[in-house]
Amino acid sequence: MRSGMRRALRTSALAMAVLLSGGPGSAQDQKSVPDLTEMSLEKLMDIEVDTVYGASRYLQKVTEAPASVSIVTAEEIQKYGYRSLADVLRSVRGFYVTYDRNYSYVGVRGFARPGDYNSRILLLVDGHRVNDNVFDQAFLGTEFPIDLDLIERVEVIRGPNSSLYVASAFLGVVNVVTKRGRDSKGLSFSGELASYGTYKGRLSYGKRFANGLETLFSASNYDSQGQQRLYFKEFDSPATHHGIAENADYDGYHQIFAKVFYRDFTVHAIYGSREKGIPTASFGTVFNDPATRTVDARGYLDLQYERELASQWALLGRLYYDQYDYHGTYVYDYSQEGGPSRVLNSDDAHGKWWGGELNLGRTFRKKHHFVVGSEYRDNFQQDQGNFDVNPFLQYFADPHDSRIGAAFVQGDIALRSDLFLNLGLRYDHYSTFGGTTNPRVALIYRPFEKTSLKLLYARAFRPPNAYELYNAGYATVPNPGLQPEIVNTGELVLEQYLGKYVSLTASAFRYRMRSLISLRTDPASGALTYENTGHVNGKGLEFEVRRKSSWGLEGGVSYSLQEAEIPNSGQPLINLPRHLGKLKFSAPLVKRKLFASLDLEYLSRRRTLGGNFAGGHAVPNLTLFSRPSAAGLKGWELSASLYNLFNTRYGDPTSEEHREDVIFQDGRTYRFKVQYRF
Amino acid sequence: MALPMHLVGRRNGGNKALGEPRAWGSFPVRESRPIDRGARTLLALLAGLLLAGLSSIPGAQAQAPSERQVKAAFLYNFAKFVEWPPDRFADPQDPLVLCVTGEDPFGTVLDGIVLGKTANGHPLALRRLRREQEARGCQILFVSASERKRLRPLLESLKGTSILTVGESDGFAQQGVMINFILEENRVHFEINVDAAERAGLKISSRLLSLAKVVRGER
Repeated sequence: MRSGMRRALRTSALAMAVLLSGGPGSAQDQKSVPDLTEMSLEKLMDIEVDTVYGASRYLQKVTEAPASVSIVTAEEIQKYGYRSLADVLRSVRGFYVTYDRNYSYVGVRGFARPGDYNSRILLLVDGHRVNDNVFDQAFLGTEFPIDLDLIERVEVIRGPNSSLYVASAFLGVVNVVTKRGRDSKGLSFSGELASYGTYKGRLSYGKRFANGLETLFSASNYDSQGQQRLYFKEFDSPATHHGIAENADYDGYHQIFAKVFYRDFTVHAIYGSREKGIPTASFGTVFNDPATRTVDARGYLDLQYERELASQWALLGRLYYDQYDYHGTYVYDYSQEGGPSRVLNSDDAHGKWWGGELNLGRTFRKKHHFVVGSEYRDNFQQDQGNFDVNPFLQYFADPHDSRIGAAFVQGDIALRSDLFLNLGLRYDHYSTFGGTTNPRVALIYRPFEKTSLKLLYARAFRPPNAYELYNAGYATVPNPGLQPEIVNTGELVLEQYLGKYVSLTASAFRYRMRSLISLRTDPASGALTYENTGHVNGKGLEFEVRRKSSWGLEGGVSYSLQEAEIPNSGQPLINLPRHLGKLKFSAPLVKRKLFASLDLEYLSRRRTLGGNFAGGHAVPNLTLFSRPSAAGLKGWELSASLYNLFNTRYGDPTSEEHREDVIFQDGRTYRFKVQYRF
Repeated sequence: MALPMHLVGRRNGGNKALGEPRAWGSFPVRESRPIDRGARTLLALLAGLLLAGLSSIPGAQAQAPSERQVKAAFLYNFAKFVEWPPDRFADPQDPLVLCVTGEDPFGTVLDGIVLGKTANGHPLALRRLRREQEARGCQILFVSASERKRLRPLLESLKGTSILTVGESDGFAQQGVMINFILEENRVHFEINVDAAERAGLKISSRLLSLAKVVRGER
């Protein structure tokens, strides 16, 4: 895919030149601006200002963090027309998403094994773990239970250095920070209309009371018919409807969200249920039967207490109750074995858990910080089961429960005013496999306020989940002795801010994964079982330039070069794009009122399980976003988006349960969105 | 009835019983069509147009005041709308000193604001503190975001003084900073911790209070 890469590089170079040159307005600062000191207080409070890096409260967070962080703001979500968390992650440097018309799967640093349920990234919402307790899955597409309009920002933290505060994240952490009552005041609604009979509605109400109480309530409903006729070449035969699956790509969800904040307490309650039709006839199901679908429901209640105590102490406490229910319906044809030609198979998982965490922080001598923390989680239900509905035949029913206890300590030491050392150690004990201890080290050198050089090392683990441990079925023998996977990562990051608007990031990383949990055939019995036998070594380089300016020209270009291999084997990795390029570009067409934004993702070709290649592709999306604040249209926000602008035909590699080698993604689609705040 | 040769589940191995996944033959997958030349040129043209359009819009950027300038103007106003206890100024002509501790985010903007201005008769002066320096001689102390983790000890050391503390970070007001800037829909607003100001012997004009979000701190 050489020409594709060259093309991408050329476009990136152009974009970079534009961004660095800054466009108009970068040189001004003391130019002729009305003397603000002559203005009344009321007038000053009415001036709309530009949010740039230098003034951003995130600057501190990013340059001080002992990790490589990317932040996507609520404003970017609206401007670029992101429809899901998967869309947001597609725009982040070094990340890519594959979609098999059921769930969305993320790849980080070139690692994206088909069939993995995002158990290697930790998904948090306001610090609360969203991965479920059966599959450990991070929900990224329409299966993510929170409306994107409720998001204040998404923090993407790479590598296992990401967080010591919550159970180790193998490849990284995605922390979604939601809005507060004060960010979404009053009653607001939004309506969306998109391709393939897609409708979405949301109603929210936020309020900030005089005594400091803040509440935010929201409900959303999404319904999509999906492509009514989807063609799959692998099924093109008269017996299977000539490869056309009809009305099988449907998608829909209901979500509710409630957040109450008062003094030091925050309470979150969310619930989301999403149903998706599976048109690909995966798992050997009957082709073109729209009854095959999955339903995932996720809900939780979280109470958080955060407080600064007497002078140098800080306390964080959390208590939570979570629930997850998965129900899959799969249509099978047993006529070849002498059974009925249409049998519904029911596949289920139910998880319930509660837990708590307590973190205590202390500052010494005004410059060193230490945090000690502990966590306990009781997975009192981790049940899985599978049965045919009619005639009834149960394949397995497996109730389980487990417990997790963890403790960690972290120190942030200022060796000099410009040199910081961050050391952390975490011990986790799982009732399933025992204990594991993992360290992390970060050395941060900040010679100037706007320069940050970080040397990072961390080790993290991924525990075997209930699915891998216990899911017993025909031809699969469970392996309760599974051990956790381990990854060691080293990284060097340079972050440089130029002027007020521009930031530059360069990084180099290496990782070694061991004991990856993989499905293996026992040569003696022919049975399939999970074992800790995978090894992967990876390395890469990343480069990014961004210009941030709410009201002016803004955007970014990033490029990642990633390589990974299974050591001592000639086997190439599946679904690994050697090159990743991202381009984001937003320009105001009418001062502060109308924006045109372009979002482009480039992936070089990826190997498939069938030994072929899913071709490289560059897919641009265009969004026109308007925030009219003139008297007549105050309170309205409108947007029109076109995704896959040039109707590029491209596909993602599939996993073992698919007969297809590659699943082609949607062509050009549109979305209209209207938001109104009363 | 024979056991069906399948087992569903998210990642079940049962399907292997159906044979090797690719036993149906390796389908020559059509390579996706990359963006064609014409489309690429169009994209570049579009980008160029946006750029040109942007450059030609007069005053698209130049005239809009920055967040820094607005906050600096507010600091000047705080000097006018806050009353210090009479013993703070030996002489009515004594300077009203505005100090910045931590990494100064204002750059040259504050110098411009302070130059030649007076507040209630006192000429304004600006001082940037090094980290360990005492803030004793200041009337207004701006605490930058870099001091977030050191905030508690800093506020402790200011007890008994009548220094107006100002910040712009999340949660500062709750922790005892008297006036904290917040951004609401891209407008600069502020929260005021009245208790903290009272404890320091400062009197904030009702005009300023009415425009602020009053915050309750601890203790």
